[in-house]
Amino acid sequence: MASSVLTSEYAGATRKRGPRALQGLPFVLPYLPLLIVFGIAPTIYALDLAFTDVGGGWVGFHNFVRTYDDFRFIPAFKHVLAYTSVWLGALMVFVVGLALLLHGRANRVSATFRFLFYMPGALAGSAAVLVWLFMLDPSVSPGSFLLHHVLGADIFAQSIAPGNLPFIFAMIAFWTGAGGWIVVMYGALNTIPHDLEEAARIDGAGPIAIALRLKLPLIRKWIAYMVILSFATGTQLFVEPQIVQTASFGLVPDTWSANQLAYQLAFRYADFNGAAAIAVDLLVIGLAAAVLIVTRGGLFRAED
Amino acid sequence: MASVTFEGVTKSYGEGPPAVDGLDLGIVDGEFMVLVGPSGCGKTTALRMVAGLEDITDGVVRIGDRVVNDLTPKRRDIAMVFQSYALYPHLSVRDNIAFPLKIAKVPKDQIRTRVDDAARILDLEPYLKRKPRSLSGGQRQRVAMGRAIVRQPAVFLMDEPLSNLDAKLRVQMRADIKKIQSNLGVTAIYVTHDQVEAMTMGDRVAVMRKGELQQVAPPQELYDRPVNLFVAGFIGSPAMNMLEARVERHAGGVAAVLGDARLDLDDHAWLAPYEGRTVVLGIRPEDLEDAAIAGRDDGARLRGQVELREALGSEVLVHFTIAARQAVTEDMRELAEDVGDDRIVGQLAGGEQPASATLVGRFSPRTRVVEGDTVEVAVDQQALHFFDPETGLAIRGA
Amino acid sequence: MRIRVVGLGARLVILLTFAVFFVAPVLWLLLAPTKSDKALITNSPFSFGDFHHVALAWKHLDAFSSHIFRRWIGNTLFYALSATAITLVAGVPAGYGLAIGRFPGRRLVLSMTLVVMIVPAAALVLPIFLELNAVHLIGSSLSVILPFSFFPFGVYLAYLYYATALPPSLLDAARVDGCGELQTFLRVALPLAKPIVALVFFFSFVADWNNFFLPYVVLADSNQYPITVGLWDLLSATPSFNPSVGGGGQSVNIFKPELALATLIAVVPVAIVFLFSQRALVRGLVGGAVKE
Repeated sequence: MASSVLTSEYAGATRKRGPRALQGLPFVLPYLPLLIVFGIAPTIYALDLAFTDVGGGWVGFHNFVRTYDDFRFIPAFKHVLAYTSVWLGALMVFVVGLALLLHGRANRVSATFRFLFYMPGALAGSAAVLVWLFMLDPSVSPGSFLLHHVLGADIFAQSIAPGNLPFIFAMIAFWTGAGGWIVVMYGALNTIPHDLEEAARIDGAGPIAIALRLKLPLIRKWIAYMVILSFATGTQLFVEPQIVQTASFGLVPDTWSANQLAYQLAFRYADFNGAAAIAVDLLVIGLAAAVLIVTRGGLFRAED
Repeated sequence: MASVTFEGVTKSYGEGPPAVDGLDLGIVDGEFMVLVGPSGCGKTTALRMVAGLEDITDGVVRIGDRVVNDLTPKRRDIAMVFQSYALYPHLSVRDNIAFPLKIAKVPKDQIRTRVDDAARILDLEPYLKRKPRSLSGGQRQRVAMGRAIVRQPAVFLMDEPLSNLDAKLRVQMRADIKKIQSNLGVTAIYVTHDQVEAMTMGDRVAVMRKGELQQVAPPQELYDRPVNLFVAGFIGSPAMNMLEARVERHAGGVAAVLGDARLDLDDHAWLAPYEGRTVVLGIRPEDLEDAAIAGRDDGARLRGQVELREALGSEVLVHFTIAARQAVTEDMRELAEDVGDDRIVGQLAGGEQPASATLVGRFSPRTRVVEGDTVEVAVDQQALHFFDPETGLAIRGA
Repeated sequence: MRIRVVGLGARLVILLTFAVFFVAPVLWLLLAPTKSDKALITNSPFSFGDFHHVALAWKHLDAFSSHIFRRWIGNTLFYALSATAITLVAGVPAGYGLAIGRFPGRRLVLSMTLVVMIVPAAALVLPIFLELNAVHLIGSSLSVILPFSFFPFGVYLAYLYYATALPPSLLDAARVDGCGELQTFLRVALPLAKPIVALVFFFSFVADWNNFFLPYVVLADSNQYPITVGLWDLLSATPSFNPSVGGGGQSVNIFKPELALATLIAVVPVAIVFLFSQRALVRGLVGGAVKE
């Protein structure tokens, strides 16, 4: 092993880190304040508020207990859970099912259908809810027949009866969100090598067998992501119940969902600590989902 | 034009052995220096340290007289041709070649002239308006060269520029690159894993292994006087045959005993210190010949059994076994692993060597031997190589 | 053979059913402003009225609260474009820096971006409100634009692209050719990322345009509403859904056709962008994201 005997006067001065130690940092700098101010800081702030009282003093879990005891808390989370279950169920069955159906052959036809399914995604947010307010009003809706027979509703007020709400909100969310997920699932199905399909066909598998035994297991990971992400998003439900509540005047309570309750606590009662406690509850759910995906996922592994 | 000097240069990535270990190498101004070695030997890392694309952990790199350790690539007056060519996909051939000049704020008319000159030298004139994706591999390679020569740098750096081309094209481009370099007189450092490229192109060749420089010399010297087992086995194809031999005294001087064969060696007195010991004897396939054809009778003969005959037209490669032991050293084991020869790996790992070694000889095409024959092989005594089995170093005369 | 045909038929039926489910409401929405409020109830849902009614509906809509509808559209355009501009300028280079960089803390920033990206934005709205309140930004457009311009998904898209689809030797070549880090980015990395820039623009713009919760929380003055919140405002002013609202003093001519028209206009800009980028979107996003 040769040693650097020559020109040692420079050898010592050679730093371990050359001129490229901070490579890339200047490009990231403008983004960092945004990340901190609107990503990290709100999380910390919410935590801070959740564990302190109005004066800023530490109260431990008091806010959490207090909000939990609020008579609206459990119903709000129950509603959200019911909604999320229905929505996830619909996603799992219909999104996967439709993607599998589309993945047969006939590409032009398939592309057209995908576009049609995807289109309502343009109406995300309050616009979608408004459209569905009309759809749920038997007097104008093209689906009045279905409203009458499935929901037993002949007037709008009956459509949005409390028992129907989880399904209605799930349907709205499905209507706007399914298209995007169908595209993703379809893309995932496209990563399955053709050889596998052909081998299965030679082995005697029909299209249904191929779909259920070959394709479905191979996109398990994507279905899992969809479920986890949708679960986290589902618990945050706000827009749909808020708008329906406005249209219904009292029929739907303004604290139907957990986020609505938090909102009311903050703006009606100026109880920011309580609102923060609920926000933290929801945040924990969201974070758990995020960590699950990031740590267990190959989805985000572009590094290695 | 400038020289390039490595003084004790080391590159390590944290724990584990360094990628380049204490490299001392001086490259003369205008020289075509080839860095060659198996993958992982550190040749590309060394090149990238000259380019400024890798930080230098320890030691000093000079271009000319300047120490360039802390200079960014753009300050070093170098040009580089990458293995993947690294052409800018969104620019035309003309713009690709002109790119460095534009960055250096060379006046527009000068850019035009220089690009045209480079295009002429490299036969790229018909393609100037095209984008890289519509070019063939060879054309892309020439564009990459064009981008390098148009800068008139002090040093050309080339990182396996021909390895993505097919064989015929490679041979053609080898000559073209060498011609361009010698016309321009620019110092060039050329990295390759192909020892044929190294031998045909280099003014001098530096053989590297595991981060360490093994030997640097003009090609013929590497071939004739390899300094250790690794260089001996790496240079030359088919590789040098390596056998265990015992040195014994005999009337005229010393003899090498291989199994049941005995080679009497005259004027090899410098082997005397190894009397009674086992050494590694290396014989290049080209120094073996069918005795029936070789004619001369000077007593250096091996007798063996032909296993395989590969006729190449210009010569015949004959694989034959003799009753001697294959030499086994760590180098050989690793060479075998590098090459991926499981059979040999298994054999060598075993420890006890069977007393039967397979040699390869390059015989004249007139040889008549076929598989199954017993053959007498003439050995060119002057071309025998001896190595110390422990250090791997060549045992030399004066 | 018979089973094949039956299977094919069944498949088509299912797909058509869902297609109807997804498309019918949009179709209804397109046709609704052409009818009068009464006609909506009496006539078939998919009948076409006439353009006269559309003009009338627009008149009513525009007259609402002295042309506030136009202002809402203008606001939304302003918010979405400003925020997207910041997102692009801050986010694309950030993705680049994270992909090719080697500074301490790089992995940390990347992980945080990923985590925050997956955490639903709604969870952070209330804390952001409180933050903005603490620095007295509530009430200014910045209270909407700044949070909007934080778009980790855009950073992630750029990161993915630069980490997987840009050969590092290309950047090395640029450096050897004399480019400093900024020049390397501007002359080589950025031009090659045009499709990603388009994607990030699309997603950011659409997300900002459709965002309801954040502006709903931070904006008190209805003059500042984006169209999403404006629609809600219209809803609370119309007697269409529950008769006890609206009316009283000023006559509010907002009924179902007007609401439908408002919804339609609210959706048009995004729908147009959707249509134009549909192919590029699906190919780009899915191709890049799904590639393992």
